Amino acid sequence: MKSRPQIGGRLAAVALVAIVLAAGAHAQVLNSGASTIALNAVLNDSITVSLSSNAVNFTLTAGSGSNPGSTGVTATTTWLLRPNVASLKLYAFFSSSTSALTDGAGNNIPSADFQISNNAGPLNALTNTVPFGGANAGLQLSSTPILGNNKSGTRTDNMNFNINLVPLPSLPAGVYTGTLTIQAQAI
Amino acid sequence: MRTGTFVRVAVVALAMTFAASMASAQALSSGAQTIALNATLAESLTLSLSANAVNFTLSAGSAANPGSTGVTATTAWTLKPGRTAVAVYAYFASTTALTDGVGDNIPSSAFKISDNGGASTALTNTVAFGAANAGLQLGASTAITGANKTGSRSDAMTFNIDLTGGTLPQLPAAVYTGTLNIQAQATP
Repeated sequence: MKSRPQIGGRLAAVALVAIVLAAGAHAQVLNSGASTIALNAVLNDSITVSLSSNAVNFTLTAGSGSNPGSTGVTATTTWLLRPNVASLKLYAFFSSSTSALTDGAGNNIPSADFQISNNAGPLNALTNTVPFGGANAGLQLSSTPILGNNKSGTRTDNMNFNINLVPLPSLPAGVYTGTLTIQAQAI
Repeated sequence: MRTGTFVRVAVVALAMTFAASMASAQALSSGAQTIALNATLAESLTLSLSANAVNFTLSAGSAANPGSTGVTATTAWTLKPGRTAVAVYAYFASTTALTDGVGDNIPSSAFKISDNGGASTALTNTVAFGAANAGLQLGASTAITGANKTGSRSDAMTFNIDLTGGTLPQLPAAVYTGTLNIQAQATP
């Protein structure tokens, strides 16, 4: 027969163990499952061309090789490109080589007689086939190599214009109008 | 088995590389910016003379009283479409070509011009300018075609005063002065 004091001691010991076990159970970290968020950030490639002016006038002298435009035009090209782009080129072009400017009555000034000096370079006629416009009606104004340090960049092309009427000595008097287009391409 | 798997992986990787290279080769273009061009070639018709004065030493009653010098008229033009001809005229403001100012006159019918070596012809026609029966078209009109919308012509004139007609053999001694006009016209 055990005495009542012995029984009380055993109960106290059991209670102490239970308390210790309960405390240990509370100390363990409980984690949820991992939930993911897919992130997708798009930096679009882009090329923009802006012009300092959108109109040029010419006062022509019959048969003259020098008929400069009333104003120069600066094309500012800004780009943000992806890797693997090798170069950025700027083009000037007409939709037709035979009628860069026309009086609307069948008398035309061909693109071969329209000249551009880019950044004070020589005057060049628009006689090449470029990615835009009519065949033999374009001119590459510039080419910028795209390297690791200029995937994003800008450049300016200062254009001056001239109409050469030496090949057109019999051009009749009239008002000749046309549209010159400037466009850039990265490839 | 392992070799087959390796080959498949290699083929897939090659295809992805090719696809990536194709994607990067696509050109990126800017928008097209336009410049409106306006070129004006104004219509013009000008005439210049190699000299502006001719003297005559007259012999009473003589048919041959040539001018002291010939005069060349150079006509230059840039014309609009639709013009078909350029003509050059010589004329006086009146059939009284020269006068001494006191009623003695030399009429235009006695004043003659030879143009470019042609016949000497009196100014008796009514032309586009000047008085009736006081003009002469110099040479033939120049036809304007697609090839000469811009062009020029020369008229080398020599002059003569014929004092044989009417009362001119009795023309008194005096200084006779007058103004001959040369003018071009493009038509229509």
